[in-house]
Amino acid sequence: MPQVRIVARNFMDMVAALPAAKLDKLYDSSFICEAVLRSLPPLAKKYVLQMLFLDSPLMAKSMEEWVLPDGLSKHKVAIDRLLQLRVFMEVNDRKKEPSYKMNQKFQSNMQKYLTTGGTVPREPMPLNAAVRLPSVGELETYAMEQWECFLLQLINSSQVDKSTSFSSSMMRAFQRGLLNSSRDNEAPRLTENGFQFLLMETNAQLWYIIREYISSAEERGMDPTDLISFLLELSFHTLGEAYSVNTLTEVQRLAIKDLADLGLVKYLQGRKEGLFMPTKLATNLSVSLSDASSRKEGFVVVETNFRMYAYSTSRLHCEILRLFSRIEYQLPNLIVGAITKESLYNAFENGITAEQIVSFLQQNAHPRVAEKMPSVPENVTDQIRLWEADRNRVEMTPSHLYEDFPSKDLFEACCDFARDYGCLLWQDTKKMRLIVKGELHQQMRDFLRGQR
Amino acid sequence: MASAPSKLYQDDVSLVVALLDTNPFFWAAASLPFSEFLHHVIPFINSLLLLNQLNRVVLIATGTSSCGYIFDSGDGNASGNSNAVCSGIIKKLEDFVGKDSKIGKGSNGDGTRPAISSLLSGSLSLALCYIQRIFRSGTRHPQPRILCLQGSPDGPEQYVAVMNSIFSAQRLMIPIDSCIVGAQHSAFLQQASYITGGVYLKPQQLDGLFQFLAAVFATDLHSRNFLRLPKPAGVDFRASCFCHKKTIDMGYVCSVCLSIFCKYHKKCSTCGSEFNQAAPDSTIPDQKH
Repeated sequence: MPQVRIVARNFMDMVAALPAAKLDKLYDSSFICEAVLRSLPPLAKKYVLQMLFLDSPLMAKSMEEWVLPDGLSKHKVAIDRLLQLRVFMEVNDRKKEPSYKMNQKFQSNMQKYLTTGGTVPREPMPLNAAVRLPSVGELETYAMEQWECFLLQLINSSQVDKSTSFSSSMMRAFQRGLLNSSRDNEAPRLTENGFQFLLMETNAQLWYIIREYISSAEERGMDPTDLISFLLELSFHTLGEAYSVNTLTEVQRLAIKDLADLGLVKYLQGRKEGLFMPTKLATNLSVSLSDASSRKEGFVVVETNFRMYAYSTSRLHCEILRLFSRIEYQLPNLIVGAITKESLYNAFENGITAEQIVSFLQQNAHPRVAEKMPSVPENVTDQIRLWEADRNRVEMTPSHLYEDFPSKDLFEACCDFARDYGCLLWQDTKKMRLIVKGELHQQMRDFLRGQR
Repeated sequence: MASAPSKLYQDDVSLVVALLDTNPFFWAAASLPFSEFLHHVIPFINSLLLLNQLNRVVLIATGTSSCGYIFDSGDGNASGNSNAVCSGIIKKLEDFVGKDSKIGKGSNGDGTRPAISSLLSGSLSLALCYIQRIFRSGTRHPQPRILCLQGSPDGPEQYVAVMNSIFSAQRLMIPIDSCIVGAQHSAFLQQASYITGGVYLKPQQLDGLFQFLAAVFATDLHSRNFLRLPKPAGVDFRASCFCHKKTIDMGYVCSVCLSIFCKYHKKCSTCGSEFNQAAPDSTIPDQKH
């Protein structure tokens, strides 16, 4: 069983884990307030909106009345999140009843946003005929290429044509947790987390890498708070506009080069100064992770005879598909493969679950089949799950075997004793043998001693 | 009648089509001036756009003789400076009201029809057409809902058209929320919200309109399963008759097409079927619809 699922929402957890003073400083910028608001669970967003223009604190009990009984768990999750991020502050009055008030700076920033509207962090450069700006489509292809190149280098350094300019220590930091080198002379193998990482959505993968980047920022002398605020600001820039590098601080300038390698921005040399253009990967950063529209078009068609056709030229896709299927041919625009028992067993050995494979296939379904319900044939999904269940046919419970009972009465008494505690697993009355769950062993011994 | 089940969405991306009542006869006599009203509505629209990057808001103005699109946040130029957007909305509203009153005067001659009601059926149809276009644009689209900000009283002559729109919305599973800013309840909108599974609210204090809008109408459809939202005390299910457009409680119903009449007719004006039963009182000549 894979241990920890990589939950890419950890970026916000990281923000929440910042010390209170730094977090309050972050809320000076209205963009961060917006980004934090957008990252909240839907119920929490509603609470923020409701409390936005209230000056006095509101009792926690009255907030609980806003939800129906089966929404209480979601309510608690939302309130916890708001408290973690210090958007809501707890106020204890004399009656010791908890009540919540909104963070002052957050509140004023949001009020200003609602009444006067949002602004952009910096002004784009005026159009300059000397420098030809790439179009939005070119930006997107650039972003995808960079990102794929980075991912390929992440999993297998030998396979890339051109490597990114990340230092090997940075790459090692990214690879920590995703790859482990089992032996020194062998290439590092992907761990379970690594497989899960590959099957995640691009946005989720991006957040994971950025999280690692920020965690290692302190070692490189960059203030993580600055980086976080810069990244969140980046998502509010307009796609396709060029911004001058001179408006960035020192830290941000260092970060821009790394971000260009990841495909978040495109770095250009203008006439007098450097320019950077945010790509779609950057502007989608603040979009909530559960959103569907940020995904690119799918490319996989799965047939009912377990054959798979992937219309893609990317080597990364080929590697991902190789994880759980047998690739048969690779044509200039098509990868043909088959989902077989051996390939799936291989995947399960490596820690991938059937659910991940099925959701990967469904999320990346080719537009021609995506409209059909279901997008992946049910016999294929059922069979994948059945093959996974095959590995769980045997269930092990630690237990003890009792035999050589002197008398039948003692045997019956022991059986009843075990049955009362619900720990009786098996009994053979003819040969007077008994198997009891391991946790009852001590009590069983005391019982037997008492009976003698 | 059971309310339409809401689809199980996991995310909270929404498309809100807001229908603003711009009937000048109503706003001239209303307790809340129209400019104040806009001061509540425009921040509400901003808050909807704030909640999620992919949320979309469309504004449709409901006039007395026509309806028109005022604002669509899905346009490319809608993002960026919000002051420009705000003044754009106000200018478009002014143009619309001017055009609407010209149309009203033109078709009525010297204004024989008092025109105290606004064209709700027209704006509902516009909203449904827009949403249908969104549905046809691809598999990934936000969850749509319609928000009616109504002040003028109901016009019984629009009963048939409004009920047809309500049933279309029910079939497409689009909730119709209603916020009444006028003095009296609206039977049409009560029925609309009840049938489609939306929320009907008549705020007690109009000064706090933004708070009511933000607390109730900004919730996305998925969260509505978990929240306690206002329910109307009772729904006014009265219909209007097809012949005189009067609101009636008891009347005659055609057994074929279920059209409602207040007086006995020999022949149904909608489907043309003849009723060969003896009249209970003096016969009334049937009227062509």
